[in-house]
Amino acid sequence: MNRIEATRAIVELAGQAPIIASLGHPAYDLFAAADRPENFYTWGSMGLASSIGLGLAMARPDLRVFVLDGDGSLLMNLGSLATIGLLQPANLVLVVMDNEEYATTGGQQTPTAHGADLDAAARAMSVARTATVRSVDELKRELGTSGGPQVVVAKVAESAPTAKPPLDCVFIKQRFMAAIHNPEPATFGQPLPQSQP
Amino acid sequence: MKTPVWAAGVCEGVHAAGSRDVIYVPDNPLSHVLREFEERYRDIRLTLATREEEAFGIAAGLYLGGRLPAVMLQSSGLGNSLNALTSLLTPYQIPVLTIVSMRGDEGEWNAAQVPMGRAVRSIFEAIDVPHATVERADEAADTVRLVGKTAFGTRRVGACLLPRRVTTAS
Repeated sequence: MNRIEATRAIVELAGQAPIIASLGHPAYDLFAAADRPENFYTWGSMGLASSIGLGLAMARPDLRVFVLDGDGSLLMNLGSLATIGLLQPANLVLVVMDNEEYATTGGQQTPTAHGADLDAAARAMSVARTATVRSVDELKRELGTSGGPQVVVAKVAESAPTAKPPLDCVFIKQRFMAAIHNPEPATFGQPLPQSQP
Repeated sequence: MKTPVWAAGVCEGVHAAGSRDVIYVPDNPLSHVLREFEERYRDIRLTLATREEEAFGIAAGLYLGGRLPAVMLQSSGLGNSLNALTSLLTPYQIPVLTIVSMRGDEGEWNAAQVPMGRAVRSIFEAIDVPHATVERADEAADTVRLVGKTAFGTRRVGACLLPRRVTTAS
């Protein structure tokens, strides 16, 4: 399974659900798989995709929130697993695209190439539902049932990105917030309070 | 234990600014604020983060989900937060009411806290984050509320600094 195949499977399963993508190749592949308004592409803040997803899951318990993280990114913010384990957000699905390298910066190996196990790390932080998957079928089976929090480490081969998401950060945010039905008042206006006669 | 005036004011200001979500990394003076929130503000959700940068990431997600988030941290954690502030909150225009408990200013006893404490305002200016300082305990509620209103209204981070002179006065 390569990363774009895994990404396509997740998009298909997600339906209208929001997907937060870590910067670089995970975001590029999400855009290539399907540019949906429910996609939130990050362009910086490496490591924070899982935190953004956690905050969104807290704000919107009615939504199943997907996060597309990378192994290098999650390694920058391992404390996030402890917070997810502490809060147990039932609607959060964290998928780690583990290609065992910093592919966006030229393919330097990450510690997961040498035994670091993010599935075990999540379990050690009290995330009960974790898995490591190596095929699209396994990935679909793991994501097929709700109930979480859930951390799925998808062992993926690197696949060269083919497209680049929109660069306008404010556009990404406004479109995303409108798509999940909590638009920013600043974007679309709001009624004025009426004075009593 | 009676809540200090400044700490009660911070809670009042956060609430009046419309925030119902506070993400924090603990700090000694902020423990008064946390206790006041727990005892008197049942509608405020307190969330512990393992690191300040993580707190800002969670806050960003809360905002995307329609909430108005506040983050509370010690000034020593500002350094840990810079990537979140400069490459997430600012470019995406995601507002967070930021409450900073100061170290390294007047009354400090620990030399290791001084360099960052002295740099806090210059750093906020360098990254173009507006900041205000609570000069007196009885100003805390108004200052926090106004910084919050401005942040959420204009969709940019706003910081409210709590000097040790205020937070550690007996």
